[in-house]
Amino acid sequence: MSTPAQEFLRNAATKSADLVHRRTIRTGIDHYEAAVGRSGARFHDWEAARQRLHEIKWEAVNHLDRYLLEFETRIRERGGHVYWAETAEDARRYVTDLAARNNVRTVVKSKSMVTEEIDLTHTLEEQGVTVFETDLGEMIVQLRKEPPYHLMTPAMHLTRAEIADLFREKLGGVESDDPQHLVAVARRALRRAFFSAEMGISGANFLVAESGLMALTTNEGNGRLGSSLPRIHVAVAGIEKVIPRMEDLAVIWPTIARSAVGQPIACYNTLIGGPRGPNETDGPEEFHVVLLDNGRSELLADPEQREVLHCIRCGACLNVCPVFRNIGGHSYGTVYGGPIGSVLMPHLGGLNKFQHLSFASSLCGACTDACPVKINLHHHLLQNRRNAVRSADRPASERLAFKLWRWTMMGSQRFAFVGSVARMLLRAAYGWGLARTPLDPMRPWTKVHGAPEIPAKSFRALWKEQHGAS
Amino acid sequence: MEQAENPGRERILARIRGALRETAPKHGAPASTGPIFAPVRDPFDRFQKECSQNLTECVITSDMGASAAAVAEVLASISPGQIFVQDAPELRCMVPLWPHGRNIRWSSEGGPLEASQATITLAEALVAQTGSVFVSSSCGGRAASVAAPVHIVVATLDQLVPDLDAAFARLRERRAQETNSMLCLITGSSRTADIEKILVMGAHGPRRLVVVLALRTIPARG
Amino acid sequence: MFIPCFVDQLNPEVGLDMARVLQRIGYSVDFPEAQTCCGQPAFNSGYWQEARRPAERFVEIFGASDADAIVCPSGSCTTMVRTFYRDLLQGSPLTGDAATLAARIFEFSEFLLKVAQVADVGASFPHRVAYHDACHALRELRLKQEPRELLRHVRGLDLVEMPYCEECCGFGGTFATKFPMISAAMGETKAAHAEASGADYVTSTDPSCLMHIDGVLRLRKSRVRTVHLASILAQTAVPAGAQPSSRTAVARGPSQEGALGKGTP
Repeated sequence: MSTPAQEFLRNAATKSADLVHRRTIRTGIDHYEAAVGRSGARFHDWEAARQRLHEIKWEAVNHLDRYLLEFETRIRERGGHVYWAETAEDARRYVTDLAARNNVRTVVKSKSMVTEEIDLTHTLEEQGVTVFETDLGEMIVQLRKEPPYHLMTPAMHLTRAEIADLFREKLGGVESDDPQHLVAVARRALRRAFFSAEMGISGANFLVAESGLMALTTNEGNGRLGSSLPRIHVAVAGIEKVIPRMEDLAVIWPTIARSAVGQPIACYNTLIGGPRGPNETDGPEEFHVVLLDNGRSELLADPEQREVLHCIRCGACLNVCPVFRNIGGHSYGTVYGGPIGSVLMPHLGGLNKFQHLSFASSLCGACTDACPVKINLHHHLLQNRRNAVRSADRPASERLAFKLWRWTMMGSQRFAFVGSVARMLLRAAYGWGLARTPLDPMRPWTKVHGAPEIPAKSFRALWKEQHGAS
Repeated sequence: MEQAENPGRERILARIRGALRETAPKHGAPASTGPIFAPVRDPFDRFQKECSQNLTECVITSDMGASAAAVAEVLASISPGQIFVQDAPELRCMVPLWPHGRNIRWSSEGGPLEASQATITLAEALVAQTGSVFVSSSCGGRAASVAAPVHIVVATLDQLVPDLDAAFARLRERRAQETNSMLCLITGSSRTADIEKILVMGAHGPRRLVVVLALRTIPARG
Repeated sequence: MFIPCFVDQLNPEVGLDMARVLQRIGYSVDFPEAQTCCGQPAFNSGYWQEARRPAERFVEIFGASDADAIVCPSGSCTTMVRTFYRDLLQGSPLTGDAATLAARIFEFSEFLLKVAQVADVGASFPHRVAYHDACHALRELRLKQEPRELLRHVRGLDLVEMPYCEECCGFGGTFATKFPMISAAMGETKAAHAEASGADYVTSTDPSCLMHIDGVLRLRKSRVRTVHLASILAQTAVPAGAQPSSRTAVARGPSQEGALGKGTP
């Protein structure tokens, strides 16, 4: 039974070597980068937008109880229900009970990372409910029985040919692999589901406290249909999703659209405040918001890392991450991948279990630069590493190695001595032709690099020769 | 939900309050008060430019009578079948100018049916900054703006605001967020980039979004 | 001069070339021999406790120096002192000294342009060169144009840009040994971009990046070579009659063996 760390190493190694996979991802990233570049022109001051978003989320998260209560009051005033779920189990149970009580046979679901987090779809299916993922990317990976590959574009690892084959097998009516045609096939297949489902389930991008509105953004319109046609609408959201006021969305919506997909703004930015109103002609009869804790209040209690809760789940950090670009989304093996996942998973799932993700980074900082709410992601990775060394399991050999390292670095003579011995050994080994063989002392390095030239003399030795003792 | 049925609520709130006893640092320089977005100088011009970029069809007419004719033209171009129309006086009085024989379902009868070929609604506002239409559940209900392959919006110039800030101000002024259970900012027709990150139009929502914009304003309704 | 531990042991020519350039533009240069390491390897691996005493030692050694500035041929090591010592030395009696030190320490290209205010150091390097934006230098020290400005003033140098020049090369310190396949894939991506640029040489502010990129290039038997920015700037005009591409063309002493970049096939 392998650990998540071992699985990760295996998957990452496989994917890193898969050139076809790397090429597919790179194509997607090229499109993304070009789009982000173009949409930058709409911002007079992009940095000011990021700073404003940071301040909006800081305000919301640092007064979380107040804003959540305000949100709850408004929703309930309009006849909606608000359920506070402490754990994934708690949240699942609420939704499955609701479905059972109402004889729900079919659910249409729009993309929601938090519903993945609590494994809601599987639980409903076990209960005999048919769940249709309606976000095209989610639908594709659901048909393939895979987890989503990426926060924003769950199927970006697949080519159109692969998707065409999939649809041909599962849906029928496929005439070509033209993306336009494939989308039409998906639309036809899901339309019936929209009009017949008893329950629609969604996530929420934001919970607007002051007006009591749930903000839901999609490009496809599936979130709109799922919150308009079925009799019951359930929205699941992490407690950290609050923002103070509706007006905050004027800067949030264009900023998140750029970071997420390089668009000026998403197609459907919806605000929902409750079930169908007394004078309204359609809409769900029941509206439920499930607020999920599941470890978030613990992260809230850590002032150093609290800002990780500012995340608006745009996926920009994944898009710019060179590790992601080479290993892809499935390698992480977690609901949340990429830089945000590497920072978050130790908090949501345990440090021992997920510390390896925080180490699987070169700390390049591209994620921090890309984050539209200015989360200092790579610094948090460093903090996770520090926390892992302090309180989680690290290999004994590693702990010893760094003790030796410290001893060596505390004196220039011992450092120079250790250095010259090492270089002497390497020069001897390479002189005997052992470079890149199993006997190469630098084998972990030379497995994937050409053997380096090892100098005969160190800088300090050469300097001394040139300048005498300093 | 009664408190007894949700015991976790108090526990979560208690944990949150405990957690927030220590403040977390803010960082960066305070956001400048300068504009984040380039100001919109000519909203009418900007709206049309944005629409052409996001593939919203924008038809400019002189007045509501001309708008009725424009709607008729769009209807003539789409497949025969039922259309779903917001039950509003402005739209009721357009019917005589539309092609005869079209089966119309009014929003007062309920939501649009699966077979609807098009929906026709009014709007709360038009936004020049992004070439968007703000609708609410008062505009023919919730499903009206997404259920059919074609969505036609009948609007007037006085509904056009320069940017999102102005749009929210207008909604707040009219208490739209209080009297409607749904608001939606629609920008272009439904689309997806889920296949190879290539943008494709016409996902689950409408493939065509048509804004018929009358220059001459009409008297405010009721 | 702050000479990073691995430059001292594995890339001494980088330190010598940096000294040469500084002297050429009129500075006198000192090497406090007591220095060993800034502590970055342990710090980046989460061993903040182990990194602390070496960091305090570093602050003491360089704090005692009366030099006008401390110059380092590595963006990552400069960043360690300037940005991360604050976190690492929290609660230490030396936090004040560390802050003072942070204001006096500079990466080499940063020093040339911002402190010495010199863009032309009299260098000559008639080759096509691409610059790799090392991560710490780019994102922590905010250096983008400075190294390029220096390269533009090098006689005969044809500066080209690589696609995705800002993307990490994949070294990341212990990351390269903990996750070698990912590191290698990132290195291959960087190598491919270098080759695509048509450059003869890849240069950077960071010798650790170059060591990694060089190793990958060698494995691919690439014709592209690596050379540290300091080594380019240290190059002066080739004497008449010498081979333009020869490495030993520049008149130098025996201690400059291998000074003109790694990657001799």
